[in-house]
Amino acid sequence: QDLPLANGKKYTLGDIKVTGTVSYNEQTVIAYTGLKKGDELYIPGDRLSKVLKKLWDLDLFSDISFYITNVEGNVADLELEIQEVPQLAEVRIQGIDKKREKEELIKENKLQSGVKVTENLITTTKNYIENKYKKEGYFNSKVVVNTIPVEDTTATNKVNMVVNVDQGEKVKIDEIEFTGNERLSDGKLKRKMKNTKEKNFFRFWKRSKFIRSDYKEDKQAVIDKYKESGFRDARIVSDTLIKKDDENIALRLNIEEGNKYYIGDIEFLGNTVYTDEQLKRAFGIKKGDTYNGVLLDKRIDDQTKPDAESLTNLYQNNGYLFSNIDLVETDVYNDTIDFEIRIVEGKEAYFNKIRVSGNDKTKDHVIYRELRTKPGEKYSKQKVISTVRELGQLGYFDPEQLEPKFIDPNPNTGTLDLEYQVVESGASKIELQGGYGGGGFIGTVGLSFNNFSIAGLLDKEAYKPLPMGDGQTLSLRAQASTYYQTYSLSFIEPWLGGKKPVSLSTSFSYTRQFLFNYQERKADKSRSFDILGVNVGLAERLSNPDPYITVSHSLGFQRYNLNNYNTGLFTFGDGHSNNFTYTLGLTRDNTYFNPVFPNGGSQFKITAKFTPPYSLWNGVDYDNLGEQREFQLENENGNLIDYDGNRVTPENAVPDQGKIDQEKYKWLEFYKVKFNGTWYTTLANFGKSQNLVLRTHAEYGFLGAYSNSRGIPPFERFFLGGDGLGSYSLDGRETIQLRGYPNQSLIPLDRNSLSQASNEDGAVIYNKYSLELRYPITLKPSASIYALTFLEGGASYDNFRDFNPFQLNRSAGAGIRIFMPAFGLLGIDFGYGFDPVPGESSPNGWETHFIIGQQF
Amino acid sequence: EYQKVVKSQDAGLKYTTAEQLYNEAKEEDSNRKFKKALRLFEQIVPQFRGKPQGQKVSYLYADTYYQLEDYYLASYQFERFEQTYPDSEKAEEASYKKARSYYELSPRYFLDQADTEKAIVELQNYLNAYPDGEFAEEANKMVSELQVKLEKKAYEIAKQYHHTEDYKAAIVSFDNFIADYPGSPFREKALYYKFDSAYELAINSYRVLMEERLNTAHEYYKNYLKYFPQGEFQEQIEASDADIQTRLQNF
Repeated sequence: QDLPLANGKKYTLGDIKVTGTVSYNEQTVIAYTGLKKGDELYIPGDRLSKVLKKLWDLDLFSDISFYITNVEGNVADLELEIQEVPQLAEVRIQGIDKKREKEELIKENKLQSGVKVTENLITTTKNYIENKYKKEGYFNSKVVVNTIPVEDTTATNKVNMVVNVDQGEKVKIDEIEFTGNERLSDGKLKRKMKNTKEKNFFRFWKRSKFIRSDYKEDKQAVIDKYKESGFRDARIVSDTLIKKDDENIALRLNIEEGNKYYIGDIEFLGNTVYTDEQLKRAFGIKKGDTYNGVLLDKRIDDQTKPDAESLTNLYQNNGYLFSNIDLVETDVYNDTIDFEIRIVEGKEAYFNKIRVSGNDKTKDHVIYRELRTKPGEKYSKQKVISTVRELGQLGYFDPEQLEPKFIDPNPNTGTLDLEYQVVESGASKIELQGGYGGGGFIGTVGLSFNNFSIAGLLDKEAYKPLPMGDGQTLSLRAQASTYYQTYSLSFIEPWLGGKKPVSLSTSFSYTRQFLFNYQERKADKSRSFDILGVNVGLAERLSNPDPYITVSHSLGFQRYNLNNYNTGLFTFGDGHSNNFTYTLGLTRDNTYFNPVFPNGGSQFKITAKFTPPYSLWNGVDYDNLGEQREFQLENENGNLIDYDGNRVTPENAVPDQGKIDQEKYKWLEFYKVKFNGTWYTTLANFGKSQNLVLRTHAEYGFLGAYSNSRGIPPFERFFLGGDGLGSYSLDGRETIQLRGYPNQSLIPLDRNSLSQASNEDGAVIYNKYSLELRYPITLKPSASIYALTFLEGGASYDNFRDFNPFQLNRSAGAGIRIFMPAFGLLGIDFGYGFDPVPGESSPNGWETHFIIGQQF
Repeated sequence: EYQKVVKSQDAGLKYTTAEQLYNEAKEEDSNRKFKKALRLFEQIVPQFRGKPQGQKVSYLYADTYYQLEDYYLASYQFERFEQTYPDSEKAEEASYKKARSYYELSPRYFLDQADTEKAIVELQNYLNAYPDGEFAEEANKMVSELQVKLEKKAYEIAKQYHHTEDYKAAIVSFDNFIADYPGSPFREKALYYKFDSAYELAINSYRVLMEERLNTAHEYYKNYLKYFPQGEFQEQIEASDADIQTRLQNF
C-alpha cells in the first residue's frame, strides 16, 4: 500500500535511530511510527509521509525530520530527529495586582501547567492580553512573554512562563475635532461616531474609550453620513491622534466635503420581466433627488436586511436566483450624476429537491408540513426567509442555527436543491415551584412537552428518554396546598390527520378545595368543593371562501360538587351542578403584517355556546317548584317548617330555596352568543413601518335561557370594567376590558337596589366600543414597543328591555405596550372614567391598569 | 479487590485484570464486568500507546465500547485503532465493527440520515477492502437494508406531498425518487402515486389547463402499466383512467 512520491526509490529499511528526544523512550517512538527493520518502503514515499503526519498529529513535537544516514545497496538506515515541545511548568504574571484578575488571565488563555508551550501559544497569549486591555481603554498596554527553561536534576523538558503586563494609563478622548466640515455640524458628525466618544461627565452609560477597530468603523460612519446627504466625494483627508498627556488624547479629522450632487437620468438596461416603469417605482429614487450613496446601494441590494425592498429582492422573490444587478454612474456633469442600472436576469430557477438535515428528534413530516418552499416551485428568496422564520418559531429548533443551504444551483437547467439545516433544541419545560401563601405551603409541579409523540408511547424504541418528534404538545400540571389541590392535563395535536392544519386540543382538569378555617389556620377536610372539567376542541382553517376563516368546535363539561361547602355561587351547600356545552366559533382574520402591530385588515369573531335544552323534555314544572312537597323547607325529621323553624301544615309550607336551586342547576341550561369585530386602518405613514394606526373595535355578548321559568344561571356571566384580565374564578365568568374603571365594577345600569348580591352578580348582556390610536416606537423582532391613546365606552344590562346602545360608561386615556417574544405582552394604561361607577355620584376619575400577556 | 486495582499505579496489573474481566464478561455476557473492564482500559490506554501491548489494549478498549453498545464511541475507537495499526490481524474485524457501529447508530427513516449514509460508506469501504471477508455477507445485507431505509425516507416525503394535496410538488418528488432509486421496492407505489397526483391535479384544474393535464396523467398511467402490467393498484388506476377518458371526450 506504499506508493512512491515524485522520484522515490524503493529501499529496505535498515536501522532506525531516534535523536532529540528528552522525555520519550526511543523504542516507544519507533513502535509508534510502525516502522520495522526489514520493511520495504519508498523514500520519499506515501508511507513515510503518513508516519510524519501521525507524529505531527500528536502535537508533542515542534520539529520532525527524517534523514538517510547510510545506504548500502538497497538497504537504507534512517534517523528520525525530533524536537519536543516544552511543557509549561509555572506561569508568573507580573504587572497586575489583583489575584483574581491573574487567575482569570490564566484561565482564559488556558495556561495550566502541562500544556505544550508552542510559539503559537506565546503569541496568542500576548495578543489576547493586549487586546483585552485595549478594549477596556488602556490604549498603551504592552505585554511581553518570556520563557525560562526549568533546570532540575531529571531530564524533563519544561519551561516557566513569565508574562509581563504593562497596562499603561487608561486613555480617554478629550476632544474630537473636525476641520473642513461646512455643511454638516460637528455635533451631527460626532453623533454618528457610535463607539468613539468624547469624554463627558453626564454620559455615564458609555464611557469614552479609544479602540482602533471601532474608530475605523466610526470614520466610515461619518463618510456614510455625508454620502446620505449628497456629498458623494466626501472623504477624510487625514486624521491625527494627538497625545495630550498620559490619560488624554485628542482626535483631529480633516474632512474634504466635495460638492453636493443630485440624481440625473436613471436608465434600466437588460430588463425583460419588468417594465422600466415598474422598476422605477420599485427603485423609488427619482431624477432631481439629492444623491444618497447609502440609499442607492440599499435600493439595489440591502445586505443588512434579508427581506428589504430592493431591486435585487424584486427579482429574487420571483424566481430569478441567477439575476445580477449593477449600478453604474455613466455621466457626471455639474452637480448631476446619470446612472445606468444594468440587469442580467438569467434563467428562472425552480426548486428541485427540498431536504432537511439535523433533525434527530423531530420527524420529517412535522417539518416538511411547515416548509413554504416546495419541489417544482419557482424560487423565491422571500419564501426561504419566511420558512426559516417559521421553523424557528416552532420552538423545536435553535433559531440562531437554522440555515438554508443552496445545493447545486444550476444556471443552465434553472434548478436548485435546498437543504434546511436544523439543530434540535430542548422543547420541554419543567416548572417546579414552592411557596408560602394563603395560609400554607403551596407546591407546583409542571411539565410541558412541546414536541411530544403520543404514538411513541407504545413504542419501546421511541423512549429517548421520552417519545418526542410528532409536534404535539402535552402539559401536565399539579398544584397543591393544605386546602386545595388542582391537577390539569392538556394535549394538542396541531395537524390532526396530517392533511391540513386541523388542530385537536383536549384538556382535563380537576380541582378540590377544602374549607379553610382562618381561626384554626387549617383546612377542614370534611367540607369540600370539587370541580371537574373536560374539554375537547377542533379548529380548522378553511380554504373556502377565503383562507382567513377558521371554524372551531368544542365540547366542554364541568361538574361542580359541593360537600357541606357554602360558596357565593350556590344557595345550597350540599349537592352538585353540571355544565355540558357545545361551542361553535367562526373567526375571520386578515390583519397584516405584524401580528403584534397590525397595519390593516380586520378581525371578526362570532361564538355561540349552547347547553342542551333539557327543560324541553324533562317535564319539570320550574314555575311551581316551591309548591311541591319535596322542595319545601323541612326539619331533620322530615316535618314541614317555616323560616322560623316552627312546624307548619302543608298549606302554609314555605319553599326551600336551596332545594329549588339544586333542581334548577343540576344541569345548567343556557345559550351564549358573542360578537367581536376589530378594524385596523393606517391613518398616516411616517416612513417604513412607522404607521399611525386606528383600531376600531366593537363587541357584544348575550346570555339567554331557553325557558324563562328556569331562568339564566349565575354562571358564565359578563363582568365589565378594568383591565379585562382573566381572574381566578369558579363560575366561568368572562371579564370584559373597559379601562378607566376598577376591575369588574360596572354592574348593569338598570339595577336599582344595590345589595351585596347585585354587586356580585354578573350581567347577561353587554356592549362595548373602543377607538384606539397606535404609533410604533420600535418594531424590532426582539422587542416591539408602541404607544396608544384610546376612547371607549361600554355598558351591561340584565335584560333586553333596558338595552340602550348609547347609554355608556365612557372613558379615555393613554398607555404603552411592550411585546417581547420571551415574555409576551406587557403594558400599562392610564384611563379616566367619565361616568360614576354604580353607587357613586361623581365621575370615577383616573385608573391605572397593568396589562400582562393579553392578546393585543 | 477491584477498587484496589483501580487505585493502584501498576499498569501491568491493571492490564491483566482488565483483560481477565473482559474475557469473563464476554463469556457471561455481563455488562457489569464490561463496565469494570472499561474503567481500567480508560486508565491504561494512554500509558500503553506506542508500547508493544498497545495494539491489544486499543482493540480491547474499542471492543468493550462495542460490547456495551456504546456505538458512538466504539466507532471512534475502532477508527483510531484502524489508523494506528493498519497491519493488525484485527484490522478487518475493526473495520467491520466500525461500520457496524454506524449501522447500529442509524436512526429510523423519518429522522436525519447522516449516520445511515456514513454507515453505507463504511460498509462499502469494508467490502472493498475485504471482498471475501468473514463478514462480507452480513455487510452486504446491512447495506441493502440501509439503502431501503433511505428509499423509504424519500418515498414517504414524496407521499406526504400527495397526502397534503400538494400535487405539483408530489409529481416532482416522485419523479426524482424514480430517477434516484431505480430498483426500489417502493417503485410501484411511487409510479402509482405519481399518476394519482397528476390525476387529482388535472381534475381539480381550471378548464383551460385540464385537457393538457389529463393527457399527462394518461401518460403516467401508461408508464405504470408498462412496468407493472399486473400491479397491485391495477383496479384503482384503471378506474381513474376510465374517468380521464370520459372527461377527455368533453374537449
